[in-house]
Amino acid sequence: MITKEKLKDYAGKLMFDMDDKEYETLQQEFEIILKQMDLIEKMEGIKEVEPMTFPFPLTHVKWRKDEVTEELTKEEILQNTEAIDKDQVRVPKVVE
Amino acid sequence: MYVDKSIDEIRTSLDNQEVTGKQLFKEAIDKAKEMQPIYNSFVTILDEYQQTKGKTVLNEIPYALKDNFSTKNILTTGSSNILKNYVPVYDATAYRKLKEAGAVLVGKTVLDELAMGGTGTTAHTGIVRNPWDKTRLIGGSSAGSAAAVALGIVPFALGSDTGDSIRKPASFGGVVGFKPTYGRISRYGLFAFASSLDHVGTFTRNVKDTAYVVDVLKGQDEKDMTTLPDDSISYVDMLENEIKGKKLFYIKEACDIENYSDSSDEELLETLKNFHDKLDQLRKIGFEIEGVSIDKNLLNAIYPAYMTISCAEATSNNANLTGIQFGPRGEGKSINDIMFDARTKGFSELIKRRFILGSYILQKENQEKLFLNAGRIRRMIVDKINELFQTYDGMIMPTSGGIAPKFGDKTDQLSDRYLILENHMAIGNFGGFPSITIPSGFVNHMPIGINLTGRVKEDGEVLNMAYKMEEILGMKNIVAKGEKHV
Amino acid sequence: MYKVVIGLEVHCELKSNSKNFSGAANQYSSDPNTHVATVDLGLPGILPVINEEAVRKSLMIALAMNCEIPSYLIFDRKNYFYPDLPKGYQITQMHHPVGTNGYVMINVDGEDKKVLIHDTHLEEDTASLDHFGNFSLIDYNRCGVPLLETVTEPCLHSAKEAIAFLEALRSIFLYTDTSDARSDMGQMRCDVNVSLMEENAKELGTKVEMKNINSFNNVKLAIEYEIKRQTEILEQGGKILQETRRFDTEDMCTYSMRSKVDAIDYKYFIEPNIPPVKITSKWLEQIKKEIPKLQYERIQEYMTEYGLSRYDATILVKEKSTAEYFEKALQEGGDPKLVANWITSIILGHINKYEISMEEIFVTPKMLIDLIQMVSDGKISSKQGKEVLYQALQEEKEPIKIVEESGMKQIGDDNEILKLCNEVLEEQPQAIEQYKKGRTNILDFLVGQVMKKTKGQANPATTRTTMKEEIERR
Repeated sequence: MITKEKLKDYAGKLMFDMDDKEYETLQQEFEIILKQMDLIEKMEGIKEVEPMTFPFPLTHVKWRKDEVTEELTKEEILQNTEAIDKDQVRVPKVVE
Repeated sequence: MYVDKSIDEIRTSLDNQEVTGKQLFKEAIDKAKEMQPIYNSFVTILDEYQQTKGKTVLNEIPYALKDNFSTKNILTTGSSNILKNYVPVYDATAYRKLKEAGAVLVGKTVLDELAMGGTGTTAHTGIVRNPWDKTRLIGGSSAGSAAAVALGIVPFALGSDTGDSIRKPASFGGVVGFKPTYGRISRYGLFAFASSLDHVGTFTRNVKDTAYVVDVLKGQDEKDMTTLPDDSISYVDMLENEIKGKKLFYIKEACDIENYSDSSDEELLETLKNFHDKLDQLRKIGFEIEGVSIDKNLLNAIYPAYMTISCAEATSNNANLTGIQFGPRGEGKSINDIMFDARTKGFSELIKRRFILGSYILQKENQEKLFLNAGRIRRMIVDKINELFQTYDGMIMPTSGGIAPKFGDKTDQLSDRYLILENHMAIGNFGGFPSITIPSGFVNHMPIGINLTGRVKEDGEVLNMAYKMEEILGMKNIVAKGEKHV
Repeated sequence: MYKVVIGLEVHCELKSNSKNFSGAANQYSSDPNTHVATVDLGLPGILPVINEEAVRKSLMIALAMNCEIPSYLIFDRKNYFYPDLPKGYQITQMHHPVGTNGYVMINVDGEDKKVLIHDTHLEEDTASLDHFGNFSLIDYNRCGVPLLETVTEPCLHSAKEAIAFLEALRSIFLYTDTSDARSDMGQMRCDVNVSLMEENAKELGTKVEMKNINSFNNVKLAIEYEIKRQTEILEQGGKILQETRRFDTEDMCTYSMRSKVDAIDYKYFIEPNIPPVKITSKWLEQIKKEIPKLQYERIQEYMTEYGLSRYDATILVKEKSTAEYFEKALQEGGDPKLVANWITSIILGHINKYEISMEEIFVTPKMLIDLIQMVSDGKISSKQGKEVLYQALQEEKEPIKIVEESGMKQIGDDNEILKLCNEVLEEQPQAIEQYKKGRTNILDFLVGQVMKKTKGQANPATTRTTMKEEIERR
């Protein structure tokens, strides 16, 4: 069973927190899905299968020609930004 | 009233100048506003009519768009608090094409928050109710689009489908829901949930209308690398093709009534009975239909594999929602604090849980067992279906094991009914197969549906078969009366 | 003494018109947020569309570094939260880089060395952050610029080798015209891993990573500082911590940023929006043909085939345009050593002085060869030749014309010189006396008088011999 603390740590790495009660619900959900995935792991021949990412192979995929085709205006770029300074997005000082 | 008619009928009325585009728009928004207090299907109802100059059958026809399609200068929230004030600066390709075709946008419809959910109850603007019974849900995530079409507010609406997000609410709402082949319609501008499973699709009240809309929407888009080259055929023109001798299969493990002999679930049994009765009628017009067996372990694995893949992709796809460049700014002293605050306040609990699950699945130490095994299941199922498609032209299934649940109904997530009958439609997303839901009858005065899935890229064939089926199923162009707010 | 083991991760921005995944311009601008598309901002609903030219250039570099090329082009997502990464993930290549298992040849102190390349992969640059008092500003112009990251095996053993590799790598970018590779513009940035091990140890020591060092000189200083720091710790019986350190350009020291424990799990997975595309052998062949002869090969060729010194060869290949100029001059029939000499002693001086490039100079290889020919034929003196070349470069005039217009020509005719020598001796009887008394260096004065009469056009060697013969005959 994955502890609440672990789950809280995972949430923190995703940049959010939840109510304590929600972590309990999440624990139950984890239990169900992990149980199902345990069964899947035991399925015959599964290891020989190549995991699938794309629904089907595509031919005729078009790459982009190296041309400048679209640029937003400054107004558009900052239209939904709440903190703007000198035409840029302002955030608290980022320190590494 | 015109907007509750078929596209053909509205077109004729427009062409005969019985009605104008502006009048249609007014009719649609009036009805939308009238229904809104009870059914709550819209996030935004537009109020200004824009004259159109389209040259297609859709010119001046009103429609609704799920609120996860980017619409320039029109609020687009994804039904989430984290985007509650977001006004896009660009148009989704699907929206642009409809605009160019002359179709008239009436409003943006409610979805489960960021399309992650199947109930229509998790939007930041509240729950969406089923037009046939307001004590029931309509299903999701494309809840508002399904409801708007079912209520006769618009003849068509767009949705998105990642697991069954168009096809399930369509069946609960008694309308036609279609998800074409992956890549048939551009996803550019559709807020991503799980990119490898996401599809743009349609709601209509009959199959011909679906073909009209998809004919406009389909085609290769230089902004979406996964789009298919144009097939240069009109699906409308294919509808009358002969279907005699078309072979279909259903999955015995899910559909045979004997499998549920000890069940007391009346709705389930009636739904299956309707399904088999309808199959008999379809056989009479020339379809050859038989049951096939698929390993039950594989079928049981569809749902967990779907959850695993979709949550994993979703946690990454929604990492752009931090309130920095767009969205409500979080409070705090440090950069991490403000992101943390924005995301904690902006997301509801359900999707936070899914993000954590998805992130766990992608962790280095868990990828092999969780993420990659889910991808393996995906391939095994798709391979199996493709193998069957060498013999059969399509797969026919009940869309659900019952009717739309009441709010608060609990489901047993590990029961056979739940695991297979409620989740098989994800097969269509796993393999990118074209898949359509058509209303097939009523159980307890609530609509139920049949789902038909065909070979990849054979969208025209699927619509052709569905068109012929629709005549037999007898639920064409039904409109829920809906209660007016008093 | 410990053995030093260094590995490098070099990011280089590729040259292109547009960005890697969007149609915005890949162009530096001091005006913030002017070259930005929806995709670069990570707006809801955006999809990446790969730039064919960025792929072509990455493949060219991979081939130039003798890498294995995958059969399909596939990208991955690297997931992490940082304000310079608006999507919350970077599109990169974790599983199937455009190049793996390659090598680059370098030469350090006359010795050849093969630097092993673990991989080179195509990704996208981040936005740039400008830091102020208590806030930072985000400019998205750089966001999405194609970036090629090249990772070496831990096979370098000194700062000198590391710098030699960086220079070799930069030359590959410049020769193939895939990047301007200017570290002062942040186009080439380097992460450096340094570890120390006992001379005979089997396993590598604990590695320390230094991120984002932006000049070759700082790479050198950072490595030297780390070697010193780690040596001191080990000598005192201490243990090296596996960590990421920051190189401070103020005091040239490194400072701890985060330890291994805080290492981020990037949750890599295949980018689902970019369908795999087959990299055909036909395309690879075509790209291969477009790769010019590289620096290292040219040095070998100049030394073995033309007999140049490594020193001269190295100078000639430093810029591709110089090497091409040199080779064109040889095609015009020039003698390799002479041509090398004229280029290194005069032409390079000129272009360095005026900070111009080889392409910008007026004197073509053909003109240079004609000039060298005039000197070889004795038509003008080599001193005159040099002056003509300077003048030609400065005034953008053809050397032949300069020679013609100034009436400059070398008097090489023996009778003419004989006549001039005797004229001078007639005029300078006292000089003959002094010479006879043993002041033989008066000869220089007499030769000088001939030169004066001829405005320097007399062949100095012939004049000298003739003068000597004539004076001794008297």
